Amino acid sequence: MTETASIVFVVDDDPSVRRAIKRLVESVGLHVELFGSAAEFMDSSRPNVVSCLVLDIRLPGISGLHFQRELIKAKNEIPTIFITAHGDIPMTVRAMKAGAVEFLTKPFRDQDLLDAIQVALERDRARRQRYADVALLRERLDSLTPREREVLPLVVSGLLNKQVAAEIGTTEGTIKVHRSQLMRKMGADSLPELVRIAEKVGISGSKQ
Amino acid sequence: MISANAALHGSYDYSEVARSVLIAIAASYGALNLTGRVTTASGRVRLPWLSGGAVAMGIGIWAMHLKAMLAFQLPVSVAYHWPTTLVAFLVAILASAIALFFASRQKMGRLEAVTGSIFMGAGIAGLHYLLMAAMRLPATIGYSPLLVACSILLAVLFSLIALLLAFGLREETRWTIQRRAGSAIVMGTAISAMHYTGMAAASFFPSSPPDLSHAVNVSPVANNGIAIVTLIVILAAVMTSSVDRRASVEIQRLNKDLERRVAERTRQLEAVNQKLRNEIAERERAEEGVRRSEDRLRLVIDTLPALVWSKLPDGSADFLNQRFREYTGLSVDEGLGWGWMRKAFHPEDQTEEEWRAAFAAGQPFEKEARMRRADGAYRWFMHRAVPLRDELGNVVKWYGITTDIEERKRSETALQEARDRLAHVTRTHAMGELAAAIAHEINQPLTAIVTNANFSLRQLISSSPNLAELQTAITEIVNDGTRASAVISRIRALLMKGALSRVQVDINEIVEDVISLLRNELTRNRVNLRTELASNLPRVLGDSVQLQQVLINLIMNAIEAIRFSAEHSGRLVIRSGRSADGVWVQVQDYGPGIEPELAELVFEPFFTTKVEGIGMGLSISRSIIESHGGQLSLVSSRQGALFEFVLTVATND
Repeated sequence: MTETASIVFVVDDDPSVRRAIKRLVESVGLHVELFGSAAEFMDSSRPNVVSCLVLDIRLPGISGLHFQRELIKAKNEIPTIFITAHGDIPMTVRAMKAGAVEFLTKPFRDQDLLDAIQVALERDRARRQRYADVALLRERLDSLTPREREVLPLVVSGLLNKQVAAEIGTTEGTIKVHRSQLMRKMGADSLPELVRIAEKVGISGSKQ
Repeated sequence: MISANAALHGSYDYSEVARSVLIAIAASYGALNLTGRVTTASGRVRLPWLSGGAVAMGIGIWAMHLKAMLAFQLPVSVAYHWPTTLVAFLVAILASAIALFFASRQKMGRLEAVTGSIFMGAGIAGLHYLLMAAMRLPATIGYSPLLVACSILLAVLFSLIALLLAFGLREETRWTIQRRAGSAIVMGTAISAMHYTGMAAASFFPSSPPDLSHAVNVSPVANNGIAIVTLIVILAAVMTSSVDRRASVEIQRLNKDLERRVAERTRQLEAVNQKLRNEIAERERAEEGVRRSEDRLRLVIDTLPALVWSKLPDGSADFLNQRFREYTGLSVDEGLGWGWMRKAFHPEDQTEEEWRAAFAAGQPFEKEARMRRADGAYRWFMHRAVPLRDELGNVVKWYGITTDIEERKRSETALQEARDRLAHVTRTHAMGELAAAIAHEINQPLTAIVTNANFSLRQLISSSPNLAELQTAITEIVNDGTRASAVISRIRALLMKGALSRVQVDINEIVEDVISLLRNELTRNRVNLRTELASNLPRVLGDSVQLQQVLINLIMNAIEAIRFSAEHSGRLVIRSGRSADGVWVQVQDYGPGIEPELAELVFEPFFTTKVEGIGMGLSISRSIIESHGGQLSLVSSRQGALFEFVLTVATND
């Protein structure tokens, strides 16, 4: 865990509460940044690191829930933990459906918050890892020749070399060469692995 | 006796002829005069006058003829058979009577004139020839038929003339005597002419001496005596008739005058009577009209759908219309006096003193009271009364109507209940809102406290505690604890239940408290609040919880208005100040404002411009302020909405 690289963003209109949260979270070695409102948070320049958001529902200006929807619309998938003084069930359901990590009622147990933050950061890390993997595979995919690019979906869909050759009008021997090149370039040791990799980059086992 | 072959030659003594003509004229005058007299006589006096006149006239005519006969002188001695002469005299009287009878009648037609003149003519002719027959002389008399006929015709003709003249001259006028005299001359001459024609018709032939039995000789002395006596008789008749007639005419004139005056008076009386009759008829018609109009009015008053009455100045009823009696089931007598109240009003509403005072005040008034219906049910009525005054301004009568207001009363009660209920609901609703606000207000410091406390614990069990940070955290715990405690005490003050208290409160303090309570709401809605509170304001008597409720309501409304305003300036100003009336507080937002035509409506229950509003806030706020003896109003302002309430200053300060 590279904890120092993670940041916990806290948005709450009560300075006293903000400070207490910062103190607590920093005591477990996490970096914390505080904001008084959603607008302040949006206006800030945030480093692109593993992070999560602790968001008060009741905020000046737009509410926490509203802000969550705005973030989703903007393709910002930062994991969010809601804290509220008077949450009710419908509010909780809405927040969770929209992808909230946790919904805590003030005053919350310190461990609950810290656990939620750990989960959120882990989720963000995983998300970031997923994005990083896909980016690598896309790079590999881009290194394929047009012919190899053409053969890949056919192979992934489970056709034999002979069938692939017939499909694109060439010899079985040529296909064999393309196939071994494909496997090497995409970093796949076996056909099942190639299929998994193809799925990750969005190539299904059928003709494109 | 003289031989018959030679007629005796007669001659006339002309002085005698003249005298006979004079007598004829005199007799004619007498006749004309008497005609007038007989005409004016009536009843019992008519017969004596007719007979007397006839005798006088008869004497005249007879004497004239006799005179004329005596004027005829024959060479033989002539005697007269006196019985025949007497008969002739009677005939003359008869003829005169007939003539007078006809001439004195009220009317004389052609037939009467002709008939009268035939009789009269016949009489005169008869008289003449009777006198001829009375002659006794030594000769026989032969008659020329032509001349006899002529003489009779003349007699009839002259009789007609005489009748017409007499008839025409009956009335006494200024020229009567002259005209009568002229007529008498004409008539006398005519009679004489007739006579001498008759005489001319006779021829005398000598014969044996006559039978002289019963015959008399008329001596000249007798002859003149006849003439004189005749004239005296006629003169007496004329004078008598003339005098009498004058008296009679005078009486008649008096009579006529009297009659005329009586007739005049009668006419006047008749006119007066007619006028009276007309007036009576007119009055009867008018009375009939009044009666009919009264009947109609009574019908209208009795049938119109209202209870109508009139009362004496002291308030005792003297009329209750049929509807009133039917509704209350009271008889005419029962309702009169003060029966309308004592027998029909609800016992609780029988406030006779109040009613007497209202009537005594003499001003139009209305009072509400329940009345018992004939079936025993009570309903609310509005009794309205207006006084009728005389020219001095004293009340002479009260008129009024009594209207059923049961439905209105019921709906008023229902509305009041609904208001109370809604006020309660709203208060409860406000409490719910408040509870949420309280939870937030309390939870914020609690969250900070718990979080800081947890941090502190972690530090204490840590191998290397950050003591400086630990101290800060604990200090903040203390601060947040104090803060939570302050919130609690404010809320306790706000939620304190119980009877409405009227204590001396500082309005600025209440404003500050409410702002503090709503701090979060204000921040969240980015309200830019400014306060302009006057210092050293006098205290006001009031219930601080209720006043806080009013302020919360006004500020929440302002926040909503700000949220919906286009420019988002977010300005909200709360002011306080001192005025002559007391202390005022203004809450002004700079939102879209309220249209002037809605200015009063906003205080109406159920009126709202908000999507989710129930329209009770301002209504309740106003009733709260009014229960404090103050006023809550919307003041027109150039921008946004400006609400102001005024409270009276505590006097026992």
